Amino acid sequence: MLMLIALLLYAIIGTAIAILAKRRVLTDEDYFVAGRKVSGIVSALTYAATTYSAFMMVGLVGLTYFSGVGALGFELFYLVGTLFLLSYYAPKIWKLGKEKAFVTPGDMITSRYGETSAKLMAVLVSIALIPYTSIQFVSISFLLGNSMSFESGIVLSAIIIALWALLGGLRSVAWTDAIFGLFMLTMAIFAVFYSFSMQTTSTDHSRLGELLYVPNSFWTPINFISYTLPWFFFALTNPQVVQRIFIPKDEKSLRRMVIFFGLFGLVYTILVTLLGLQLRLLSEIGEFPRVSNRDLVTPTFLSMIPEWLGVMIGVSIFAAAITTANSIVLTLSSMFTRDLLKSRSVNAGRLFVVAITTAVAIFAIQRPNYIVDLAVMSSTILLCQLPLLLGVFHFKMGGNISASLTLLAGFSTAMVMFYTKATFGLPISIWVLLVSFAVFFLASCLEKRFKT
Amino acid sequence: MKALEGLIVVLAMCIPFIAIKSQDLTTYVYWCLVSAIYLAYIAVSRW
Repeated sequence: MLMLIALLLYAIIGTAIAILAKRRVLTDEDYFVAGRKVSGIVSALTYAATTYSAFMMVGLVGLTYFSGVGALGFELFYLVGTLFLLSYYAPKIWKLGKEKAFVTPGDMITSRYGETSAKLMAVLVSIALIPYTSIQFVSISFLLGNSMSFESGIVLSAIIIALWALLGGLRSVAWTDAIFGLFMLTMAIFAVFYSFSMQTTSTDHSRLGELLYVPNSFWTPINFISYTLPWFFFALTNPQVVQRIFIPKDEKSLRRMVIFFGLFGLVYTILVTLLGLQLRLLSEIGEFPRVSNRDLVTPTFLSMIPEWLGVMIGVSIFAAAITTANSIVLTLSSMFTRDLLKSRSVNAGRLFVVAITTAVAIFAIQRPNYIVDLAVMSSTILLCQLPLLLGVFHFKMGGNISASLTLLAGFSTAMVMFYTKATFGLPISIWVLLVSFAVFFLASCLEKRFKT
Repeated sequence: MKALEGLIVVLAMCIPFIAIKSQDLTTYVYWCLVSAIYLAYIAVSRW
Protein backbone atom coordinates (compact mmCIF):
# COMPACT_ATOMS: atom_id res chain seq x y z
CA MET A 1 0.00 0.00 0.00
CA LEU A 2 2.81 2.37 0.99
CA MET A 3 4.55 1.52 -2.31
CA LEU A 4 1.44 2.37 -4.32
CA ILE A 5 1.09 5.72 -2.54
CA ALA A 6 4.76 6.48 -3.15
CA LEU A 7 4.42 5.58 -6.85
CA LEU A 8 1.37 7.77 -7.17
CA LEU A 9 3.30 10.66 -5.59
CA TYR A 10 6.22 9.96 -7.91
CA ALA A 11 3.93 10.03 -10.96
CA ILE A 12 2.25 13.28 -9.82
CA ILE A 13 5.54 15.04 -9.02
CA GLY A 14 7.12 13.85 -12.28
CA THR A 15 4.11 14.99 -14.32
CA ALA A 16 4.17 18.38 -12.57
CA ILE A 17 7.88 18.75 -13.39
CA ALA A 18 7.23 17.73 -17.00
CA ILE A 19 4.45 20.33 -17.29
CA LEU A 20 6.54 23.07 -15.63
CA ALA A 21 9.50 22.32 -17.90
CA LYS A 22 7.31 22.40 -20.98
CA ARG A 23 7.87 25.22 -23.45
CA ARG A 24 6.16 25.96 -26.70
CA VAL A 25 7.28 23.31 -29.17
CA LEU A 26 7.39 24.65 -32.72
CA THR A 27 10.03 22.52 -34.43
CA ASP A 28 11.40 19.03 -34.14
CA GLU A 29 14.61 20.65 -32.87
CA ASP A 30 12.59 22.03 -29.92
CA TYR A 31 10.99 18.66 -29.34
CA PHE A 32 13.98 16.31 -29.64
CA VAL A 33 16.91 18.44 -28.41
CA ALA A 34 15.07 21.14 -26.42
CA GLY A 35 16.10 23.83 -28.93
CA ARG A 36 19.76 23.33 -27.83
CA LYS A 37 19.10 25.57 -24.83
CA VAL A 38 19.70 23.29 -21.85
CA SER A 39 21.98 24.37 -18.98
CA GLY A 40 25.12 22.44 -18.08
CA ILE A 41 23.79 21.03 -14.81
CA VAL A 42 20.49 19.78 -16.27
CA SER A 43 22.41 18.34 -19.25
CA ALA A 44 24.74 16.52 -16.85
CA LEU A 45 21.89 15.12 -14.77
CA THR A 46 19.87 13.98 -17.77
CA TYR A 47 23.02 12.39 -19.22
CA ALA A 48 23.61 10.58 -15.92
CA ALA A 49 19.98 9.50 -15.43
CA THR A 50 19.82 8.26 -19.02
CA THR A 51 23.03 6.27 -18.59
CA TYR A 52 22.48 4.83 -15.14
CA SER A 53 19.46 2.55 -15.26
CA ALA A 54 17.94 0.14 -12.74
CA PHE A 55 21.00 -2.00 -13.49
CA MET A 56 23.02 0.03 -10.97
CA MET A 57 20.96 -0.54 -7.81
CA VAL A 58 19.89 -4.05 -8.79
CA GLY A 59 22.41 -5.54 -11.23
CA LEU A 60 25.63 -3.90 -10.08
CA VAL A 61 24.91 -4.37 -6.37
CA GLY A 62 24.35 -8.07 -7.08
CA LEU A 63 27.40 -8.33 -9.34
CA THR A 64 29.61 -6.76 -6.66
CA TYR A 65 28.12 -9.04 -4.00
CA PHE A 66 28.79 -12.05 -6.22
CA SER A 67 32.14 -11.16 -7.86
CA GLY A 68 33.80 -8.48 -5.69
CA VAL A 69 35.78 -5.36 -6.54
CA GLY A 70 36.13 -6.36 -10.22
CA ALA A 71 32.58 -5.07 -10.63
CA LEU A 72 33.81 -1.62 -9.56
CA GLY A 73 36.68 -1.87 -12.06
CA PHE A 74 34.23 -2.81 -14.83
CA GLU A 75 31.93 0.15 -14.07
CA LEU A 76 34.79 2.64 -13.59
CA PHE A 77 36.39 1.48 -16.84
CA TYR A 78 33.14 2.52 -18.49
CA LEU A 79 33.30 5.88 -16.69
CA VAL A 80 36.90 6.78 -17.62
CA GLY A 81 36.24 5.59 -21.18
CA THR A 82 33.22 7.85 -21.37
CA LEU A 83 35.14 10.80 -19.91
CA PHE A 84 37.95 10.24 -22.41
CA LEU A 85 35.58 10.01 -25.37
CA LEU A 86 33.35 12.88 -24.25
CA SER A 87 36.23 15.27 -23.49
CA TYR A 88 37.62 14.62 -26.96
CA TYR A 89 34.58 14.10 -29.19
CA ALA A 90 31.75 15.96 -27.43
CA PRO A 91 33.01 19.47 -28.42
CA LYS A 92 33.38 18.32 -32.05
CA ILE A 93 29.94 16.66 -32.11
CA TRP A 94 28.33 19.65 -30.39
CA LYS A 95 29.84 22.11 -32.89
CA LEU A 96 28.87 19.98 -35.88
CA GLY A 97 25.36 19.63 -34.46
CA LYS A 98 24.98 23.39 -34.03
CA GLU A 99 26.43 24.29 -37.43
CA LYS A 100 24.48 21.70 -39.40
CA ALA A 101 21.35 21.56 -37.20
CA PHE A 102 21.81 17.87 -36.37
CA VAL A 103 19.13 16.39 -34.14
CA THR A 104 19.93 12.68 -34.27
CA PRO A 105 23.21 10.74 -34.54
CA GLY A 106 21.75 9.55 -37.86
CA ASP A 107 21.92 13.15 -39.14
CA MET A 108 25.71 12.96 -38.73
CA ILE A 109 25.79 9.67 -40.63
CA THR A 110 23.51 11.03 -43.39
CA SER A 111 25.72 14.09 -43.79
CA ARG A 112 28.93 12.07 -43.94
CA TYR A 113 27.93 8.82 -45.70
CA GLY A 114 24.39 9.15 -47.08
CA GLU A 115 20.75 8.41 -46.30
CA THR A 116 20.72 4.64 -46.75
CA SER A 117 23.29 3.98 -44.05
CA ALA A 118 21.45 6.29 -41.62
CA LYS A 119 18.18 4.46 -42.29
CA LEU A 120 19.86 1.11 -41.75
CA MET A 121 21.45 2.41 -38.58
CA ALA A 122 18.02 3.49 -37.25
CA VAL A 123 16.66 -0.02 -37.85
CA LEU A 124 19.63 -1.86 -36.29
CA VAL A 125 19.76 0.47 -33.30
CA SER A 126 16.06 -0.17 -32.69
CA ILE A 127 16.60 -3.94 -32.83
CA ALA A 128 19.26 -3.51 -30.15
CA LEU A 129 17.53 -0.94 -27.97
CA ILE A 130 13.83 -1.92 -27.97
CA PRO A 131 14.53 -5.22 -26.14
CA TYR A 132 16.99 -3.41 -23.84
CA THR A 133 14.30 -0.86 -22.98
CA SER A 134 11.74 -3.58 -22.43
CA ILE A 135 14.07 -5.06 -19.81
CA GLN A 136 13.72 -1.80 -17.87
CA PHE A 137 9.94 -2.35 -17.87
CA VAL A 138 10.38 -5.96 -16.76
CA SER A 139 12.71 -4.91 -13.90
CA ILE A 140 10.14 -2.36 -12.72
CA SER A 141 7.35 -4.93 -12.80
CA PHE A 142 9.38 -7.46 -10.81
CA LEU A 143 10.19 -4.75 -8.28
CA LEU A 144 6.49 -3.93 -7.93
CA GLY A 145 5.60 -7.62 -7.66
CA ASN A 146 4.10 -7.28 -4.19
CA SER A 147 2.13 -4.15 -5.01
CA MET A 148 0.59 -4.90 -8.42
CA SER A 149 0.44 -7.51 -11.17
CA PHE A 150 3.27 -7.83 -13.73
CA GLU A 151 1.06 -6.51 -16.54
CA SER A 152 -0.15 -3.54 -14.46
CA GLY A 153 3.49 -2.62 -13.75
CA ILE A 154 4.27 -2.64 -17.48
CA VAL A 155 1.20 -0.49 -18.30
CA LEU A 156 2.02 1.99 -15.51
CA SER A 157 5.61 2.34 -16.75
CA ALA A 158 4.44 2.78 -20.34
CA ILE A 159 1.94 5.50 -19.41
CA ILE A 160 4.52 7.48 -17.40
CA ILE A 161 7.18 7.19 -20.12
CA ALA A 162 4.88 8.21 -22.96
CA LEU A 163 3.18 10.98 -20.98
CA TRP A 164 6.39 12.78 -19.96
CA ALA A 165 7.88 12.47 -23.44
CA LEU A 166 4.65 13.64 -25.09
CA LEU A 167 4.23 16.65 -22.81
CA GLY A 168 7.30 18.62 -23.74
CA GLY A 169 9.69 16.28 -25.53
CA LEU A 170 13.28 16.38 -24.39
CA ARG A 171 12.84 19.42 -22.14
CA SER A 172 10.32 17.56 -19.97
CA VAL A 173 12.35 14.36 -20.08
CA ALA A 174 15.55 16.25 -19.16
CA TRP A 175 13.98 17.97 -16.16
CA THR A 176 12.35 14.81 -14.81
CA ASP A 177 15.71 13.06 -15.39
CA ALA A 178 17.51 15.80 -13.47
CA ILE A 179 15.24 15.76 -10.42
CA PHE A 180 14.99 11.99 -10.22
CA GLY A 181 18.71 11.61 -10.93
CA LEU A 182 19.37 13.53 -7.71
CA PHE A 183 16.77 11.39 -5.94
CA MET A 184 18.54 8.19 -7.12
CA LEU A 185 21.85 9.47 -5.75
CA THR A 186 20.30 10.49 -2.42
CA MET A 187 18.61 7.12 -1.92
CA ALA A 188 21.86 5.30 -2.75
CA ILE A 189 23.52 7.26 0.09
CA PHE A 190 20.71 6.22 2.47
CA ALA A 191 21.06 2.59 1.37
CA VAL A 192 24.81 2.54 2.02
CA PHE A 193 24.48 4.17 5.44
CA TYR A 194 21.77 1.73 6.44
CA SER A 195 23.78 -1.28 5.27
CA PHE A 196 26.69 -0.15 7.47
CA SER A 197 24.35 0.34 10.43
CA MET A 198 23.20 -3.28 10.05
CA GLN A 199 26.66 -4.53 11.04
CA THR A 200 26.85 -5.31 14.74
CA THR A 201 30.06 -7.40 14.81
CA SER A 202 33.32 -5.66 14.06
CA THR A 203 35.31 -7.38 11.35
CA ASP A 204 37.79 -6.55 8.61
CA HIS A 205 37.37 -6.98 4.88
CA SER A 206 39.93 -9.80 4.61
CA ARG A 207 36.99 -12.20 5.14
CA LEU A 208 36.00 -11.42 1.55
CA GLY A 209 39.13 -13.19 0.26
CA GLU A 210 39.42 -13.30 -3.54
CA LEU A 211 36.54 -10.83 -3.89
CA LEU A 212 39.00 -8.07 -2.96
CA TYR A 213 41.31 -8.43 -5.93
CA VAL A 214 41.48 -9.20 -9.65
CA PRO A 215 41.88 -11.51 -11.43
CA ASN A 216 39.77 -13.96 -9.44
CA SER A 217 37.58 -16.91 -10.35
CA PHE A 218 34.94 -14.60 -11.90
CA TRP A 219 36.98 -11.67 -13.23
CA THR A 220 39.40 -13.47 -15.50
CA PRO A 221 41.08 -11.10 -17.99
CA ILE A 222 38.89 -12.41 -20.84
CA ASN A 223 35.70 -12.04 -18.81
CA PHE A 224 36.72 -8.54 -17.77
CA ILE A 225 37.30 -7.54 -21.41
CA SER A 226 33.96 -9.12 -22.43
CA TYR A 227 32.12 -7.00 -19.89
CA THR A 228 34.13 -3.82 -20.33
CA LEU A 229 34.76 -3.36 -24.05
CA PRO A 230 31.17 -2.74 -25.23
CA TRP A 231 30.62 -0.24 -22.42
CA PHE A 232 33.92 1.58 -22.99
CA PHE A 233 32.53 3.01 -26.25
CA PHE A 234 29.00 3.55 -24.88
CA ALA A 235 29.33 7.36 -25.19
CA LEU A 236 29.70 7.07 -28.97
CA THR A 237 27.63 4.02 -29.81
CA ASN A 238 24.44 4.62 -27.80
CA PRO A 239 22.26 7.15 -29.64
CA GLN A 240 20.37 8.29 -26.55
CA VAL A 241 23.58 9.66 -25.01
CA VAL A 242 25.06 10.93 -28.31
CA GLN A 243 21.88 12.96 -28.79
CA ARG A 244 22.40 14.56 -25.38
CA ILE A 245 25.65 16.09 -26.65
CA PHE A 246 23.51 18.32 -28.91
CA ILE A 247 21.47 19.84 -26.06
CA PRO A 248 23.79 22.13 -24.00
CA LYS A 249 23.21 25.81 -24.76
CA ASP A 250 26.91 26.73 -25.16
CA GLU A 251 30.41 25.28 -24.87
CA LYS A 252 30.64 26.20 -21.20
CA SER A 253 27.48 24.20 -20.52
CA LEU A 254 28.88 21.29 -22.52
CA ARG A 255 32.00 21.33 -20.35
CA ARG A 256 29.87 21.40 -17.22
CA MET A 257 27.80 18.52 -18.56
CA VAL A 258 30.87 16.30 -18.95
CA ILE A 259 32.44 17.20 -15.60
CA PHE A 260 29.30 16.96 -13.50
CA PHE A 261 28.27 13.75 -15.21
CA GLY A 262 31.72 12.35 -14.33
CA LEU A 263 31.28 13.42 -10.72
CA PHE A 264 27.78 11.93 -10.53
CA GLY A 265 29.00 8.70 -12.13
CA LEU A 266 31.97 8.35 -9.81
CA VAL A 267 29.97 8.96 -6.62
CA TYR A 268 27.06 6.75 -7.71
CA THR A 269 29.36 3.90 -8.74
CA ILE A 270 31.27 4.05 -5.45
CA LEU A 271 28.02 4.03 -3.46
CA VAL A 272 26.47 1.14 -5.35
CA THR A 273 29.56 -1.09 -5.25
CA LEU A 274 30.16 -0.21 -1.60
CA LEU A 275 26.62 -1.43 -0.89
CA GLY A 276 27.31 -4.72 -2.71
CA LEU A 277 30.57 -5.31 -0.83
CA GLN A 278 29.05 -4.39 2.52
CA LEU A 279 26.08 -6.77 2.01
CA ARG A 280 28.54 -9.56 1.12
CA LEU A 281 30.56 -8.84 4.25
CA LEU A 282 27.32 -9.01 6.27
CA SER A 283 26.58 -12.39 4.67
CA GLU A 284 30.05 -13.64 5.61
CA ILE A 285 29.49 -12.76 9.27
CA GLY A 286 25.91 -14.10 9.27
CA GLU A 287 24.08 -10.78 9.53
CA PHE A 288 22.55 -10.91 6.03
CA PRO A 289 21.20 -14.01 4.25
CA ARG A 290 23.52 -15.65 1.73
CA VAL A 291 21.87 -14.91 -1.62
CA SER A 292 22.69 -17.27 -4.49
CA ASN A 293 20.81 -15.40 -7.27
CA ARG A 294 22.67 -12.11 -7.63
CA ASP A 295 19.60 -10.26 -8.98
CA LEU A 296 17.88 -10.92 -5.65
CA VAL A 297 20.52 -9.23 -3.46
CA THR A 298 18.87 -5.79 -3.58
CA PRO A 299 15.28 -7.10 -3.18
CA THR A 300 16.47 -9.14 -0.15
CA PHE A 301 18.12 -6.02 1.30
CA LEU A 302 14.93 -3.98 0.71
CA SER A 303 12.86 -6.59 2.52
CA MET A 304 15.07 -6.31 5.62
CA ILE A 305 15.10 -2.54 6.10
CA PRO A 306 12.32 -0.29 7.49
CA GLU A 307 9.36 -0.23 5.12
CA TRP A 308 9.49 3.51 4.44
CA LEU A 309 13.17 3.30 3.46
CA GLY A 310 12.61 0.22 1.32
CA VAL A 311 9.76 2.00 -0.48
CA MET A 312 11.88 5.14 -1.08
CA ILE A 313 14.81 3.10 -2.45
CA GLY A 314 12.34 1.04 -4.51
CA VAL A 315 10.91 4.24 -6.02
CA SER A 316 14.45 5.46 -6.80
CA ILE A 317 15.08 2.20 -8.72
CA PHE A 318 11.75 2.67 -10.50
CA ALA A 319 12.85 6.24 -11.35
CA ALA A 320 16.21 5.00 -12.67
CA ALA A 321 14.44 2.59 -15.03
CA ILE A 322 11.93 5.23 -16.20
CA THR A 323 14.59 7.91 -16.82
CA THR A 324 16.60 5.50 -18.95
CA ALA A 325 13.58 4.15 -20.81
CA ASN A 326 11.94 7.48 -21.66
CA SER A 327 15.22 8.88 -23.02
CA ILE A 328 15.67 5.85 -25.29
CA VAL A 329 12.05 6.04 -26.45
CA LEU A 330 12.42 9.72 -27.34
CA THR A 331 15.71 9.13 -29.17
CA LEU A 332 14.33 6.16 -31.13
CA SER A 333 11.30 8.28 -32.01
CA SER A 334 13.62 11.00 -33.39
CA MET A 335 15.54 8.40 -35.41
CA PHE A 336 12.36 6.92 -36.87
CA THR A 337 10.96 10.36 -37.69
CA ARG A 338 14.06 12.04 -39.10
CA ASP A 339 16.33 9.25 -40.28
CA LEU A 340 13.79 6.72 -41.55
CA LEU A 341 10.86 8.87 -42.67
CA LYS A 342 12.89 12.03 -43.38
CA SER A 343 10.10 13.95 -41.69
CA ARG A 344 10.47 17.04 -39.53
CA SER A 345 6.97 16.85 -38.11
CA VAL A 346 6.66 17.13 -34.33
CA ASN A 347 3.37 15.25 -34.48
CA ALA A 348 5.07 12.37 -36.29
CA GLY A 349 7.64 12.36 -33.47
CA ARG A 350 4.86 12.21 -30.88
CA LEU A 351 3.14 9.42 -32.78
CA PHE A 352 6.37 7.42 -32.75
CA VAL A 353 6.77 8.01 -29.00
CA VAL A 354 3.40 6.29 -28.50
CA ALA A 355 4.15 3.57 -31.05
CA ILE A 356 7.61 2.75 -29.66
CA THR A 357 6.40 2.80 -26.05
CA THR A 358 3.60 0.42 -27.04
CA ALA A 359 6.04 -1.86 -28.88
CA VAL A 360 8.36 -1.91 -25.88
CA ALA A 361 5.46 -2.68 -23.53
CA ILE A 362 4.24 -5.54 -25.77
CA PHE A 363 7.78 -6.97 -25.88
CA ALA A 364 7.99 -6.73 -22.11
CA ILE A 365 4.61 -8.34 -21.42
CA GLN A 366 5.46 -11.40 -23.55
CA ARG A 367 8.75 -11.99 -21.70
CA PRO A 368 10.21 -14.36 -24.32
CA ASN A 369 13.84 -15.38 -23.74
CA TYR A 370 15.17 -13.72 -26.86
CA ILE A 371 14.35 -10.29 -25.38
CA VAL A 372 16.77 -11.00 -22.56
CA ASP A 373 19.37 -12.30 -25.03
CA LEU A 374 19.09 -9.23 -27.24
CA ALA A 375 19.15 -6.89 -24.28
CA VAL A 376 22.39 -8.46 -23.07
CA MET A 377 23.73 -8.15 -26.59
CA SER A 378 22.60 -4.56 -27.17
CA SER A 379 25.90 -2.81 -26.37
CA THR A 380 27.82 -5.36 -28.41
CA ILE A 381 25.47 -4.94 -31.38
CA LEU A 382 25.81 -1.15 -31.17
CA LEU A 383 29.61 -1.45 -31.58
CA CYS A 384 29.06 -1.95 -35.33
CA GLN A 385 28.47 1.82 -35.58
CA LEU A 386 31.90 2.71 -34.19
CA PRO A 387 33.86 2.79 -37.48
CA LEU A 388 31.21 5.08 -38.98
CA LEU A 389 31.20 7.47 -36.04
CA LEU A 390 35.00 7.63 -35.85
CA GLY A 391 35.01 8.03 -39.64
CA VAL A 392 33.08 11.29 -39.31
CA PHE A 393 36.15 12.82 -37.62
CA HIS A 394 39.16 10.73 -38.65
CA PHE A 395 38.70 8.91 -41.95
CA LYS A 396 38.19 10.45 -45.35
CA MET A 397 37.26 7.16 -46.97
CA GLY A 398 33.85 5.51 -46.99
CA GLY A 399 30.48 6.20 -48.55
CA ASN A 400 26.92 4.98 -48.40
CA ILE A 401 27.65 1.42 -49.53
CA SER A 402 30.69 0.80 -47.32
CA ALA A 403 28.90 2.31 -44.30
CA SER A 404 25.84 0.10 -44.84
CA LEU A 405 28.00 -3.00 -45.34
CA THR A 406 29.91 -2.20 -42.14
CA LEU A 407 26.69 -2.00 -40.14
CA LEU A 408 25.32 -5.22 -41.63
CA ALA A 409 28.60 -7.11 -41.14
CA GLY A 410 29.07 -6.01 -37.51
CA PHE A 411 25.43 -6.69 -36.65
CA SER A 412 25.44 -10.14 -38.31
CA THR A 413 28.69 -11.07 -36.55
CA ALA A 414 27.20 -10.20 -33.18
CA MET A 415 23.99 -12.13 -33.81
CA VAL A 416 25.60 -15.24 -35.34
CA MET A 417 28.27 -15.52 -32.64
CA PHE A 418 25.79 -14.94 -29.87
CA TYR A 419 23.44 -17.67 -31.03
CA THR A 420 26.04 -20.22 -32.19
CA LYS A 421 28.40 -19.48 -29.27
CA ALA A 422 31.29 -19.95 -31.73
CA THR A 423 33.56 -17.18 -30.44
CA PHE A 424 36.96 -18.87 -30.92
CA GLY A 425 38.15 -17.92 -27.43
CA LEU A 426 37.68 -14.17 -27.83
CA PRO A 427 34.85 -11.95 -26.55
CA ILE A 428 32.13 -11.30 -29.16
CA SER A 429 32.70 -7.54 -28.79
CA ILE A 430 36.27 -7.92 -30.10
CA TRP A 431 35.01 -9.87 -33.13
CA VAL A 432 32.34 -7.25 -33.83
CA LEU A 433 34.95 -4.48 -33.72
CA LEU A 434 37.44 -6.43 -35.87
CA VAL A 435 34.85 -7.35 -38.50
CA SER A 436 33.26 -3.88 -38.56
CA PHE A 437 36.56 -2.04 -38.98
CA ALA A 438 37.87 -4.58 -41.55
CA VAL A 439 34.69 -4.34 -43.64
CA PHE A 440 34.67 -0.56 -43.35
CA PHE A 441 38.23 -0.14 -44.66
CA LEU A 442 37.95 -2.87 -47.30
CA ALA A 443 34.55 -1.77 -48.61
CA SER A 444 35.65 1.89 -48.57
CA CYS A 445 38.65 1.08 -50.78
CA LEU A 446 36.46 -0.90 -53.18
CA GLU A 447 33.76 1.77 -53.22
CA LYS A 448 36.35 4.41 -54.03
CA ARG A 449 37.84 2.26 -56.81
CA PHE A 450 34.46 1.60 -58.43
CA LYS A 451 33.53 5.27 -58.32
CA THR A 452 36.74 6.43 -60.00
CA MET B 1 48.70 12.97 -27.76
CA LYS B 2 45.06 12.01 -27.17
CA ALA B 3 45.84 8.38 -28.04
CA LEU B 4 48.71 8.43 -25.54
CA GLU B 5 46.39 9.85 -22.88
CA GLY B 6 43.86 7.09 -23.58
CA LEU B 7 46.57 4.45 -23.40
CA ILE B 8 47.90 5.78 -20.08
CA VAL B 9 44.42 5.77 -18.54
CA VAL B 10 43.67 2.23 -19.75
CA LEU B 11 47.04 0.95 -18.49
CA ALA B 12 46.54 2.67 -15.13
CA MET B 13 43.13 0.99 -14.80
CA CYS B 14 44.67 -2.40 -15.65
CA ILE B 15 47.36 -2.26 -12.92
CA PRO B 16 45.28 -4.15 -10.30
CA PHE B 17 45.32 -7.16 -12.65
CA ILE B 18 49.12 -7.23 -12.55
CA ALA B 19 50.37 -5.56 -9.40
CA ILE B 20 47.79 -5.57 -6.60
CA LYS B 21 46.86 -8.77 -4.83
CA SER B 22 46.12 -7.69 -1.27
CA GLN B 23 43.15 -8.91 0.75
CA ASP B 24 41.99 -5.46 1.78
CA LEU B 25 40.42 -2.51 -0.01
CA THR B 26 43.60 -1.47 -1.88
CA THR B 27 42.22 -2.40 -5.33
CA TYR B 28 38.94 -0.67 -4.54
CA VAL B 29 40.63 2.52 -3.37
CA TYR B 30 43.15 2.44 -6.24
CA TRP B 31 40.44 2.30 -8.92
CA CYS B 32 38.47 5.09 -7.23
CA LEU B 33 41.61 7.26 -7.06
CA VAL B 34 42.60 6.73 -10.69
CA SER B 35 39.08 7.64 -11.83
CA ALA B 36 38.95 10.68 -9.54
CA ILE B 37 42.36 11.91 -10.71
CA TYR B 38 41.36 11.50 -14.35
CA LEU B 39 38.11 13.37 -13.73
CA ALA B 40 40.08 16.18 -12.04
CA TYR B 41 42.48 16.25 -15.01
CA ILE B 42 39.56 16.54 -17.45
CA ALA B 43 38.00 19.30 -15.35
CA VAL B 44 41.17 21.35 -14.96
CA SER B 45 43.23 20.75 -18.09
CA ARG B 46 40.65 20.41 -20.83
CA TRP B 47 38.81 23.16 -22.70
